[in-house]
Amino acid sequence: MSIEKKMVTVYIMGEPQQVPEGSTIIMAWEYAGFQLKKGIGCREGFCGACATVYREKGDYKLKGGLACQTVVTDGMSLVQIPFVPSEKPQYDLKNLEPNIDTFKELFPTIFRCVACNTCTKACPQDIKVMDYIQQLKRGDIAAAADTSFDCIRCGLCALRCPADIVQFNAATLAQRLYGKYLALRSPELENRLKEIDDGKFDAEIAELNNMGHDDLVTKYYSRQIKIK
Amino acid sequence: MKIPYFPGCSLKTYASGFEKSAIAAGKALDIELVELPRWNCCGVVSSLTKDDLMHHLAPVRNLMRLSDMKTSGLADEDKRLLVLCSMCMNTFKRTNLKVRENSEDLATLNDFMYLEEAKYDGSVDIVHFLELLKEYGFDKISESVNTSLAGLKVAPYYGCMLIRPKEVGIDDAEEPTIFENLISSLGAEPVSWHAKNQCCGSYLTVNKQDTVIKLTRRILDNAQQEKADVIVTSCPLCAFNLDSRQALLQETNPGFEPIPVLYFTQLMAIAFGLDAATYGFEKNKVDPMPLLNKKVFI
Amino acid sequence: MYPDYMMESIRKVEATRPQRLAIAKKMGKQVFPSMTEDEREHILTTYHPDYKKDARKELRIGPNKGEMITNEVVDIMESYPRYKSSDLDLSKVDYEVDVLVIGAGSAGLAAALEAGKRGVKTLLVTKLRLGDSNSMMAQGGIQAADQSDDSPTLHYLDVIGGGHFDNKKDLVEALVMDAPKSIKWLEDLGVMFDKNEDGSMMVKSGGGTCRNRMHSTRDYTGAGICRVLRDELYSNGGDIKYLEYVSATDLIMDDKGQVAGAIIYHIELKEYFIIKAKTVIIATGGFGRLHIRNFETTNHYGATGDGLVIGYRAGANMLFMDSVQYHPTGAVFPEQIVGFLCTEKVRSLGAQPINHDGELFVYPLEPRDVEASSFIRECEEGRGVSTPSGLKGIWLDSPLIDQIMGEGTIEKNLPAMLRQYQRFDIDIRKYPMLVFPTLHYQNGGLEINAKAETTIPGLYVAGEASGGVHGRNRLMGNSQLDIIVFGRRAGINAAEKVLAGIELGKLTLKHLDDYSKEVEKLGIDKKRISPLILPDYIPDHIKAKQMTQEYLGTLV
Repeated sequence: MSIEKKMVTVYIMGEPQQVPEGSTIIMAWEYAGFQLKKGIGCREGFCGACATVYREKGDYKLKGGLACQTVVTDGMSLVQIPFVPSEKPQYDLKNLEPNIDTFKELFPTIFRCVACNTCTKACPQDIKVMDYIQQLKRGDIAAAADTSFDCIRCGLCALRCPADIVQFNAATLAQRLYGKYLALRSPELENRLKEIDDGKFDAEIAELNNMGHDDLVTKYYSRQIKIK
Repeated sequence: MKIPYFPGCSLKTYASGFEKSAIAAGKALDIELVELPRWNCCGVVSSLTKDDLMHHLAPVRNLMRLSDMKTSGLADEDKRLLVLCSMCMNTFKRTNLKVRENSEDLATLNDFMYLEEAKYDGSVDIVHFLELLKEYGFDKISESVNTSLAGLKVAPYYGCMLIRPKEVGIDDAEEPTIFENLISSLGAEPVSWHAKNQCCGSYLTVNKQDTVIKLTRRILDNAQQEKADVIVTSCPLCAFNLDSRQALLQETNPGFEPIPVLYFTQLMAIAFGLDAATYGFEKNKVDPMPLLNKKVFI
Repeated sequence: MYPDYMMESIRKVEATRPQRLAIAKKMGKQVFPSMTEDEREHILTTYHPDYKKDARKELRIGPNKGEMITNEVVDIMESYPRYKSSDLDLSKVDYEVDVLVIGAGSAGLAAALEAGKRGVKTLLVTKLRLGDSNSMMAQGGIQAADQSDDSPTLHYLDVIGGGHFDNKKDLVEALVMDAPKSIKWLEDLGVMFDKNEDGSMMVKSGGGTCRNRMHSTRDYTGAGICRVLRDELYSNGGDIKYLEYVSATDLIMDDKGQVAGAIIYHIELKEYFIIKAKTVIIATGGFGRLHIRNFETTNHYGATGDGLVIGYRAGANMLFMDSVQYHPTGAVFPEQIVGFLCTEKVRSLGAQPINHDGELFVYPLEPRDVEASSFIRECEEGRGVSTPSGLKGIWLDSPLIDQIMGEGTIEKNLPAMLRQYQRFDIDIRKYPMLVFPTLHYQNGGLEINAKAETTIPGLYVAGEASGGVHGRNRLMGNSQLDIIVFGRRAGINAAEKVLAGIELGKLTLKHLDDYSKEVEKLGIDKKRISPLILPDYIPDHIKAKQMTQEYLGTLV
């Protein structure tokens, strides 16, 4: 059922190359003969290493995307962005408070946001980036952690921001502050930690450690499955 | 009445008492403030930028977000946006002025909105809460008063943003009266004073504190000369300068007597006899309770 | 969108869906009978790729000499180092540290954070960026027996039964007993676990688990954890140093048989550097990019088994390198995402595996090897669906999820999955996903004990590069747990060993020369070198014209 591939022309760093239609940007680079050493990662859209910008034939817009997730089009012009420079404040989470003053001190640039929304347009994860910056500006850390959750730190927002904000670093801090300070803790977890400390399971575990293969097999297959 | 409402950043942080008391006071008058589901900074910060159009992006983006509030049943209307903060109001109104006078500018601004579902057509009117109260009727407001404020001398502070420039002001720029009318309707006594529309120093509070101290001193002194018990305002930044800076004044002027600064909505909540939790005094620097205990809650 | 002929099969899936929905509503997860021990044994030996006649060959070199091992692993072991010992001057040390961590996935990051916290001089090296790893890609969850109806003992049974009772018991004990503590450690660092409104953990089941024990951060669990560890390292004020874009190509030993550092290679500058270290932690992950038996893989670009090679060449023993984990559900359509992982959580939430004729043919949550084998059976026996590019797969009926769990479940719980398919115009809320087993995990690795130590003094291994924890088959959610538990243990134990005092002798690379001689005796082509460092996807017709490759199968 294999079908013959149509070829399209893409411009890799300005140079025309013929690559199979339907290739992703990464596949196009490789088909053209490059073994990528930077600006490449998981190849599945999770790590954010391959963020890039491109222009398509006949479109004035400079678009952004993940090279592993973006399919090339005929006449597309490509570059590689192996690294996004960013400012990363130093902090010890233990000494921070989950409030607006923390962001005023560590990320003063977020208050430069003019709501131009360029970051949101640039985000390959469809995150409302500008919205979470605005949420941080009004100290709503829980909302910002939620809005920014799917961020993979590809850096395209920061590359396009006219106010020079490094959005993704602020997002990471919001998520960590939420996880550590604002999310309610699980009482069951605390309880289990205490039980383990008290040695509640030590005898059972020791019994399994000393059990012969056949007994263990029997015990395994006879365990009750109670899943919801 | 369910009216679309824009809180602004200050009301979510330093001026939370303003929002809390306004929502409660509104509820007492059967006015429900429906927060925009999605909003950003009104744009006042960027109005300090030199680029003439850039600073209208944020306001336009907010004004656009009302478009389906009526059809979706969230609010009763989608052509008026209620605002509490004087600065936000001023920013929005000036943007409306700009885009209503100049359709080309509006088109340029809308070009930036290409991933948004709606465009802005300039049709949303900005309503300050004081204006809505006037429309509701000051006489009618008096009917909701349950706690007597008789004898409480209140200095209404307009500052700049509520009344200037006159194209966006909610009242006469030189002799405004809307605050006084509200205060009277609540049963308190408005103080007549000349500092009511003098500038508090605004953003200079960030980098020229001395200037702000000088200006606020002038305002506070005048209020006290006229025997005011409290000052009311509708601007979180004015409130910050007038209220928070009193600590510094006290340090440098041992004889200085602090005077509480309230949002007008806090005064309303008191007059309506609402639960004390709705007053939102947590962020007030000069504690108003001693004074209120002496003159109101006797 | 799916082509018409595939839509015909989808219609058969849709036709049986109401009936299958009714079964799910009545039976809960047990929509199909689980296999007995005999049935599992039969399906594995008949259909699992590991049991194919030509899947393994004899390893002729090193500590595991004489064992039957997965072909592709034998090939990287029977290869030369990139240099002779005389090419490098060990007297000129470029970096001198107490703890060297190789690899910056969650295991490496956890190890570096724990070591650094103990005040020892710590250096982390990685061949891509910090966090670029399989850890970052994990979707489904992390197991920990912290619910009241669960216990570490039940977790232990699941781990060892899933691993076909081959697991090292001391490692299983460490894994399950450290699990709740690991969740707490991660929460204190700011990981946002999925919670119910009252703060209790939202836990799911997974293949081979007898209780709901899977903690998640939406379907970005790996990222939800790894990005926090990375941020912690970035924010530590520079106490823990790290180098990116350098690959460890061999270990350095001393004349007393202790590990004494590593040679690292700057991938772009092509320079070699000498790192002297009192202890070394290998946390390099697995080998998916070796494409065992030409399978597509879910793995990261850097998953080339480098740590395995450099540890083995230095004399560390391997365990279970005859077993490979194929994740049952790798995408086979559309072509751009072939091999990509469709998280097990899709099945945990209620999606059922369905063949070409619309029939449910297996319990959806068997251990991964059993589940994968059943998919291969369907395809080999003509009940699979073919793709335009000639691949075969079976349906994973995702629209059932919203029908069972309520509208919006997919959007809320599987945002990554939904987005992945939406990019190619497939809405998994409306249409099923076509899947086939994909190379996912290296079950075995370098043997460790419960302190994450190897038999080489000073050498530690953590995470997928290690062997013994999961026996011959790992369950979902135990890898995210493994990397935290043993990453931390490696970091803590290495630091404590340093603090107790280590005297290094004279540095040497004699083990490489000895190894090379053995390889030479096998008559191996001199150009065949390892570790691989990065895979190469340049097409043959271009390759033939490049003529600059110094080494076979790896980068210059």
